[in-house]
Amino acid sequence: MVFNQTMSKVEIKGKNFLGFEISINSNDAKKTFAELESLLAVSSKYMKNSVVTLKLDDFNKKYANDIINFLKDKEIFVNAVVVKNRSGLDANVPVIEIGKTHLINERGEKEVSTFKGNLRSGQSIKTNGDLVVVGNVNSNSYIYATGNIFVLGKLYGVPHAGYGGNNEAVVFAFDLNPPQIRIGDYITRSPEKNVLLKKRVDIVPEVAFVDAGVIVIMGYDEWLKS
Amino acid sequence: MSGKVLTITSGKGGVGKSTTTANLALGLALAGKKVVTIDLDIGLRNLDMILGLENRIVYDVVNVVEKVCKVKQALIKDKRVDNLFLIAAAQTRDKSAVKPEQILELSNELKKEFDYIILDSPAGIEGGFKNAMLPADEVIIVTTPEISAVRDADRVIGILEANEKKDMSLIINRINPVLVRKGDMMSKDDVLQVLSIPLIGVVPEDGNIVSYTNIGEPSILHPDSPSGKAYKNITQRILGKDVPFIEIVEKKKGIIETIINFFKE
Repeated sequence: MVFNQTMSKVEIKGKNFLGFEISINSNDAKKTFAELESLLAVSSKYMKNSVVTLKLDDFNKKYANDIINFLKDKEIFVNAVVVKNRSGLDANVPVIEIGKTHLINERGEKEVSTFKGNLRSGQSIKTNGDLVVVGNVNSNSYIYATGNIFVLGKLYGVPHAGYGGNNEAVVFAFDLNPPQIRIGDYITRSPEKNVLLKKRVDIVPEVAFVDAGVIVIMGYDEWLKS
Repeated sequence: MSGKVLTITSGKGGVGKSTTTANLALGLALAGKKVVTIDLDIGLRNLDMILGLENRIVYDVVNVVEKVCKVKQALIKDKRVDNLFLIAAAQTRDKSAVKPEQILELSNELKKEFDYIILDSPAGIEGGFKNAMLPADEVIIVTTPEISAVRDADRVIGILEANEKKDMSLIINRINPVLVRKGDMMSKDDVLQVLSIPLIGVVPEDGNIVSYTNIGEPSILHPDSPSGKAYKNITQRILGKDVPFIEIVEKKKGIIETIINFFKE
């Protein structure tokens, strides 16, 4: 295997909703700028006026402002810098730490099981790791996962996330309205009358998690910020 | 001729399975199809009464599977329509008197003679239900807009989905527009959102059904009654015609009735 003394890899990726990401992995600053120069010659016109994030490896953190200014000269304005962790980084734009996004999976669940379809009354699923349900979980059904539970639909059955004692697990659903929520060793029940008779207007995605010994339910948007 | 087996089921009891069976059987027969309906609610038979044929039972379905009589001898001809027949349930036995395989065999035999074999399933998800499910080509699930009935229907659909019996449709029975408006009853859309299977009919609450049942005249014989109209439309849809759904609305009230109701509420 040949080991390169110096290497540089600059990539520009279009991200569906997020505009563009410029990702830099290198240990040679000169080469980086040269590569950026040649890539931008082709694609800079597409990137003007859209959101641009800059993803840097640990080596390039110290050049953050240089790169941002370099791009500014080309009329590309960086909206945020993405790094593994922010120590040693000096940048005059917002910083996103990737390390932080592991929050949802702190216990390191490796497995993800996906169930597509509606889970009906009397049915149940038990999985190791995270569970993703693409469909509805109807009343009187039960879902258990040792990790997190994500329901891309209505959740009217009973979820047990962190089954087996993981109190860090979360339960997410587009329409979170179960009679009970169980997370790890905690349980809470809904005080409302039956969900099927409730007149509900604004249904928003919600997340349930354990905070200071209590199961808390929070709007998804709010939870993302916390 | 190769007929089709329709099974009418619900999970919960008392939602109108037998009434629906009787009406659809009569409706299909009136449309010119050759129909036989089998009451599988062994021990608690009702279909014979709803069809007004209770005096004519000589042999029943248990006699047929036990080979006490020939299938032909157990076919009770309807008193109004020539091409409708009933095989009654035994009242003196219970669900364990027949096995699913025997009903399958009987259905296969009847398929040679009839266009439609309509099985009236008993409530529940035990043996009797299985008797009715094994031969089914299509399953019609009847529910009322009550939460308990919808929950049981959901359970039944789950069982059928797990057994790959996918051809299902839904009848919502006894919808009451006044209660829906007040928010005390689930609407058609609420029920559909939970059960998410194709809808084949919505039957409005009809106070006359009790008397129709008692005199053995299904409401489809009264085309002016709200339920009769709904059943007629369902029959047409089973036959593959595209009939629009009637929006079920409250009856227009006179001004005096409105004032009286205002004080009542």
